Amino acid sequence: MSVRTLKGKRRWLALGGCLIWLAFTFFPLYWVLITSFKTPIAVVGGPTYLPFVDFEPSLTAWSELLSGQRGEFFNTFLASTIIGLSAAVAATGIGAMAAYALVRFTFRFRLLSALIFVAIAFGGFLLGRHVFGFGQGISLIYAFVAALVLAVISSRFPLPGPELGNNDIVFWFVSQRMFPPIVAAFALYLMYTEMGKLGFKLVDSYIGLTFAYIAFSLPIVIWLMRDFFEALPVEVEEAAMVDNVPSWRIFFGIVLPMSKPGLIATFMITLAFVWNEFLFALFLTNSKWQTLPILVAGQNSQRGDEWWAISAAALVAIIPMMVMAGLLSRLMRSGLLLGAIK
Amino acid sequence: MTRNDPIKHFFIWPALIIVLLISIFPLVYSLTTSFMSMRLVPPTPSRFVGFGNYLDLLQNPRFWHVAGTTTLIAFISVGLQYVIGLSVALALNSRVPGEGIFRVSFLLPMLVAPVAVALIARQVLNPTMGPLNELMTALGFANLPFLTQTSWALGSIIAVEVWQWTPFVILMLLAGLQTLPDDVYEAAALENATPWQQFRDITFPMLLPISVAVVFIRLIESYKIIDTVFVMTGGGPGISTETLTLFAYQEGFKKFNLGYTSALSFLFLIVITVIGLVYLAVLKPYLEKHK
Repeated sequence: MSVRTLKGKRRWLALGGCLIWLAFTFFPLYWVLITSFKTPIAVVGGPTYLPFVDFEPSLTAWSELLSGQRGEFFNTFLASTIIGLSAAVAATGIGAMAAYALVRFTFRFRLLSALIFVAIAFGGFLLGRHVFGFGQGISLIYAFVAALVLAVISSRFPLPGPELGNNDIVFWFVSQRMFPPIVAAFALYLMYTEMGKLGFKLVDSYIGLTFAYIAFSLPIVIWLMRDFFEALPVEVEEAAMVDNVPSWRIFFGIVLPMSKPGLIATFMITLAFVWNEFLFALFLTNSKWQTLPILVAGQNSQRGDEWWAISAAALVAIIPMMVMAGLLSRLMRSGLLLGAIK
Repeated sequence: MTRNDPIKHFFIWPALIIVLLISIFPLVYSLTTSFMSMRLVPPTPSRFVGFGNYLDLLQNPRFWHVAGTTTLIAFISVGLQYVIGLSVALALNSRVPGEGIFRVSFLLPMLVAPVAVALIARQVLNPTMGPLNELMTALGFANLPFLTQTSWALGSIIAVEVWQWTPFVILMLLAGLQTLPDDVYEAAALENATPWQQFRDITFPMLLPISVAVVFIRLIESYKIIDTVFVMTGGGPGISTETLTLFAYQEGFKKFNLGYTSALSFLFLIVITVIGLVYLAVLKPYLEKHK
């Protein structure tokens, strides 16, 4: 028994507070669940609360939904699942690699190289666009490649100015999360349209949306996985290095298996983020690769207040994440995630 | 200890390139466009207008109204999230009965798609078919215009934000509470410190760093709010619940006024950065005092 355990009256007060919060948390979820089993007449007739007691449950909404009368639910569900899983896997993988590199290897470069990158990206874009008269897509590609190459070359030389290290790179990655997504979503939409003119179809495509989601999940993946890798004992890796095991085998053969709990937790957080994401899907898709949040949001404006159908639609978007939360909590209880969330 | 090995480039470049591509383009593009007058519908040739778009925006009362609404929603909802989240985390940490069940179920709202949450809220708050207004009527209040009157609509949006994001605060603060050492509390118990004193002089100060981080994250994220508002009120009645992101969406995607939208998103970025910096600057002395 910990010293911090409450006793007597306070304990019951705390319990009361928790129960009120529990009711507040659960009531909306309960409401959407029972509404999806109501008939249209039962919904319009005013609120009813208990199935079999004050209304007869019916499967109208669900059969309508599954038979495709409410839009392409099956395809959208599939699109959401494919995009969610692949973006979460890719982001977790790429992010874990970067996080590991930032924890175990030394990176040093001058602030000036970073400034060169930004300056050339801006200047090259403007130059290509307004002086040479290239299209936006082409000028962007040229400017990006030129900026990257010159920045990397410049980092080989002893430049003056302050030196940046691993922590600055981490800060830069994480600070990308501060960026209002509307800035990126809108510009990405225009960039994708430009790329479409060059022959790469990115708007409303699998690659376009997945790529955007990977980029926007990476900051959080790197943040979480860095904390996780830092907590791993370095001795195992040192022992492997003494035996001349190459670094990539240390990472894939030793470090990754050791960090399975952290990877699973990060993967699930990323998946939930991508699954529920609205703004990017709104801008970057229009029909084929539309995701569930867009379809669900559209239910209300298309049909008006048909709550039985809207509830079923909302549940399709909610249930997979609830199942995942169940799995996650079982993992947590089994102690697999100890240390994953610091 | 970090080491040096050429393979590090192989590890870091994929992430670096993806984030650079996705972050530098919007930056370059929006910044250059924000100094131009550019429309897609009707198509007009772009021309350089300097700070024209920014001045237009700063003189537009709608911008100030939208920024004010967003700030109001963000600050009130994050404040409530923190107070409720801290109370719940404290209760859970002191082992209320049934703590295990609470712990899991309290996290659920965080995982529900905001769009779905907004649709559920619309049902619950519906004037004729919703349960909340029936309860209000039963308790003797008038039928309340939850989504059609400005102050109620703002309150409803804030309530939805609190419902959805308090779990995040609970999760982070609970993790923070569990790392606090027991011996401090044992010493306090020996000194006969009351629970309130223990909270004021031990728990709260020791929790301050993580509290600051949690509130910071939530504040920044709250400023980006769009999906909840988009579905619940669509910015209405009038523009009274419109947020910055929704405003930018309307200007950019409905009117295709590119220069204006880019300037707007940059002002938005500046607003967020300023708020973030001020917040950290204000709290820094407290953080250092308790180190």
